[in-house]
Amino acid sequence: MDKAIVIEHLSKRYKNNRGIDDICLEVDKGDIFGFLGPNGAGKTTAMKIMTGLMQPDHGDVRIGGFSILEDYEKAMQQVGCIIESVAPVPYLTAEENMKMCARFYRNIDDKQIDWCLESTGLLPYKKEKTRNYSLGMKQRMGLAMAMVSDPEILILDEPLNGLDVEGMVEMRNLILRLAKERGTTFFISSHLIHDVELTCNKIGILYEGKLLDVRSTEDILKEYASLENYYLSEVDLSVKS
Amino acid sequence: MSSLRAAYINEIYKLSKRKKLMVSCVLSVAAVLVAALIVGVANNFMGIRITGESEFSILVLSVLNYTLIPLFTIFICIDMVGGEFSNQTMKMVLTRPVSRIKVYLSKAMAAATFIIVNLLFIMVTSLIISLFIKGTLAGIGRIFIAYVASFFPLFVFALFTMIISTVFRGTGSAFFLSILCFLLCNVLGLFFSQLQSFLFTTAFNWYTLFLGSYINFHKIFRMFMILAGLGLMFFGIGSYLFDRKNL
Repeated sequence: MDKAIVIEHLSKRYKNNRGIDDICLEVDKGDIFGFLGPNGAGKTTAMKIMTGLMQPDHGDVRIGGFSILEDYEKAMQQVGCIIESVAPVPYLTAEENMKMCARFYRNIDDKQIDWCLESTGLLPYKKEKTRNYSLGMKQRMGLAMAMVSDPEILILDEPLNGLDVEGMVEMRNLILRLAKERGTTFFISSHLIHDVELTCNKIGILYEGKLLDVRSTEDILKEYASLENYYLSEVDLSVKS
Repeated sequence: MSSLRAAYINEIYKLSKRKKLMVSCVLSVAAVLVAALIVGVANNFMGIRITGESEFSILVLSVLNYTLIPLFTIFICIDMVGGEFSNQTMKMVLTRPVSRIKVYLSKAMAAATFIIVNLLFIMVTSLIISLFIKGTLAGIGRIFIAYVASFFPLFVFALFTMIISTVFRGTGSAFFLSILCFLLCNVLGLFFSQLQSFLFTTAFNWYTLFLGSYINFHKIFRMFMILAGLGLMFFGIGSYLFDRKNL
């Protein structure tokens, strides 16, 4: 199967000795990959490197076959992302923010922008300045901006942060719809294990900077009662060893 | 090139939506009006002749070149680099299919555009006032050359400010350090004449080289090469630091 994302021996160590250590991972096209781990495990670090916001100490990431270190523009042409908090330009409206993002791609018209805003429930507020948006609305805005180019791959770091229950369900349904209808590949980090179980078809567990295991959700649920049980047993094994 | 174009248009768009641009325009006009008032009072009521027919615009330039224009340039450069790092909006640009060098170049181009617009605005305003005061636009060619020449040291200063803004995350510290460096370079230039050739602030009045009856092309060329060298060096350092910066 074609690989959407290939992570090769990725390492990054901070001064406090935390970070990620020799991560190797492959995500197939069309997968919804869930990156699970506690706070401080290194999920955001890995995702920042994947999107070029941070330089790795070692290793590389290939997106759609292009190296993020050598062919950044080509690699990012097919990627949309939310990394950590979403920060649209506060003194611009949602529509203006979307147009700024759209300028980096070809053939993105107002229809596409409206579709993204409608999908995330922001169309009625598109003329409002984003400084007036709530945390949940900013998170939706982040997803709309990530979707603007109709990318093949969406890298989402804690996409459900700040959303209410209704918003979480809508976001989950949107992810599933995009994967099904458009074949979008997702790489999602979260510590909300229940949502990962409901959304992702493949899971990777990151603990203290190390990738413990990668398995399909189907296989995990055959063996364990829930994803939570699997996660706890993997972490427990890691602590013991 | 399309990604550079997109990044540049975005920078200009953001700049046009900021209140700082409007404030800089209003303050520039106010400064020119105050200068006109002082010149008018001195000429008519005190019997002191401060400027000749064509020199009002040059007088305005010589004052604003060391005060308001560098100050606005600092504001804009820090806003475009340090400001975007601190409020996280930089991520929105850096996660698009555009390399960091192009993002940095687009910001430098936007800073250059801002300086040109600011100078143009001041020049036109001062020329209009000259027209009202004297009823003539004598020496407009020399005035135009002086304003064009003023762009180069200001742009070098903008590139210098962008380095400071890349290094410091806080906009406040970057602002004060930029002001401090500007003042320090001016003071050093006053007391150590041998350093003058290497201080970009010395070049802030290099437009005077174009205004005399004898034009020293050798000196102009030397100064231009120094400015070009400093500009390239500052851009190189700034873009390297910008490229290596982890978010």
